Amino acid sequence: MSEGTIKSMKNLPQEHILGEGTSLCAGCGGLGALHQIYDLLGEKTVIVNAAGCMTSLAIYPYTPFRGSWLYTAMASAASGAQGIRDALDVLIAQGRLPTEDDLTVIALAGDGSSYGMGLSATSAAIERNLDFLYICYDNEGYGNTGQQFSAATPWGARTTTSRGGHHGKKKDLFAIWAAHHPVYAATVIGAEPLDLARKVEKAIRLRGPRLILAMAPCPTGWGYDPQETVEIGRLAVRCGIWPLKEYEEGRLTHTRIPQPRIPVEEYLQKQSRFRHLFKPERNAEAIAHIQAEVDRYWSNVA
Amino acid sequence: MFRIRFHGRGGQGMKTAANLLSRAFFLEGYEIQDAPRYGSERRGAPIFAYVRADREPILERGAITRPDLILVADDSLIHNPSAGVLQNVNSRTVLLIHSEVPGEVWKDRLQFPGTIIGLPLSAVARSGAQIPVVSASCTGAAAGLVGVIRRETLEPALREELTRLGESVIAQNLETALSAYDAMQPYAGCVKEGGALSAEDYAPPDWIEIPYEDSTISAPVIYRTATSEQIQTGLWRTRRPLIDYSHCNRCSWVCSTFCPDSAIHVDPDRTPHIDYEHCKGCMICLAVCPPHAIYMEKEQPAPIEGGAR
Repeated sequence: MSEGTIKSMKNLPQEHILGEGTSLCAGCGGLGALHQIYDLLGEKTVIVNAAGCMTSLAIYPYTPFRGSWLYTAMASAASGAQGIRDALDVLIAQGRLPTEDDLTVIALAGDGSSYGMGLSATSAAIERNLDFLYICYDNEGYGNTGQQFSAATPWGARTTTSRGGHHGKKKDLFAIWAAHHPVYAATVIGAEPLDLARKVEKAIRLRGPRLILAMAPCPTGWGYDPQETVEIGRLAVRCGIWPLKEYEEGRLTHTRIPQPRIPVEEYLQKQSRFRHLFKPERNAEAIAHIQAEVDRYWSNVA
Repeated sequence: MFRIRFHGRGGQGMKTAANLLSRAFFLEGYEIQDAPRYGSERRGAPIFAYVRADREPILERGAITRPDLILVADDSLIHNPSAGVLQNVNSRTVLLIHSEVPGEVWKDRLQFPGTIIGLPLSAVARSGAQIPVVSASCTGAAAGLVGVIRRETLEPALREELTRLGESVIAQNLETALSAYDAMQPYAGCVKEGGALSAEDYAPPDWIEIPYEDSTISAPVIYRTATSEQIQTGLWRTRRPLIDYSHCNRCSWVCSTFCPDSAIHVDPDRTPHIDYEHCKGCMICLAVCPPHAIYMEKEQPAPIEGGAR
């Protein structure tokens, strides 16, 4: 395992290169993670962006990026990344593109695409050992269209299509990726910049299919004041509902084991998508169920 | 035909206000058309919605260019060019602004050719309302100003549109809508229906035509980097974060790393600066600053130079 250069907060990038003026919501947790990631990736990148909130980053003729960006249909980020990678490889092989001008191919997609519509194309790209970095910003619903439930919506969360609380279970995308034996997969969150930077730095150095799965607290869709985005993210980590971990060379490592874990309801009650579990009366059974699921996850962590 | 525009920010409920008003018109026997207009969904950004109401079938389409009535959710939008509040106003236009500043002052400031009415939200909404009720105030005021919607029509209109939100939400909205309706009684009927538009009245939209790219590219290409910085998202802000440099401990990374919009720059000497042209006012910096060196102030409307466009 190669040693990274980011050892402490002081090593975090001082210059923030993702352009200002994007039309994402104030306090966006997805943008909060993306701008930290982009500071490390730099401009020698092609971002292949599946339809979602992040497609409103670049609205012609405006872009916050300093490198290239390509927009694809919702299910097609990984396919688009394959096409770009192949084109770059062909140009380099033909001598039409100097090797030093090669670009890193990034797929950027939300949970609606990554956990659902785009999963089949992504699975195939990993299987083909495509050299790309896949960034998923997971705000646990179709945020761009007003927060309908997605395959990443947690059980019990209210969305515009699950008013009484979502009945489905959040898919484990990290485990799905790990089951493909990619070169690297990691979960991150913008509220933990050092953990995020170390993982992104590691992912950049590797070749092959790599996943950075960022939980993206969403003030608009989850229902909380935008200034609480970082606080909500920290609570998600401290209560254990969002485990920070990485998969590398066949091994799973938890990079943060919260001890002690705070009760999950401290995280839930800050968000109006879970308000029905507390008001008008407390739904002790549902809260206990969510807590039990989190406890069960950590009981399996050695 | 009545042509009515609602201007607000994403989250203030202008789409709902248009729905409620058009329902009330419908219950009074009008043909209606209502539509919201916004880009990608987001909170805080200026949006508008519009309503057409007529006794005859409505054949007119598209955004309203000759407004008879404009309702504004908060006065910070007036001087925001991307909100376009004052677009195509004329001497017949009635403008209602939710503002603590009186209408006469606004009329003078804006050199407005029509009528301006100022309505402080505090006058119609109960303090401590749990939900944004400015939308209901817009609806109630519009219903009062057009003079053809009866007071008792508001209740079924709100009930039909808001049923799924439950009784307490309906009650708060209704109370606000009725107060706004009553507050407008001195001006009832001051909004007059505009006549039919002819083709000569057509005004091309205010946008820039861009030539097609070469067909080998067949997609629009942006040649410069980070062009988004030309968009002043600072205009979204209703609250302004300020750094108290006597308390800032020059940690060099916390506020600037957590600012999702890259809107906090740090000097080589580690002093942070907030870029107010782009800061959207999310206040994450205030929440995360370890020595609590960031505080906030309500954004004040800037003085206005010149008149209506």
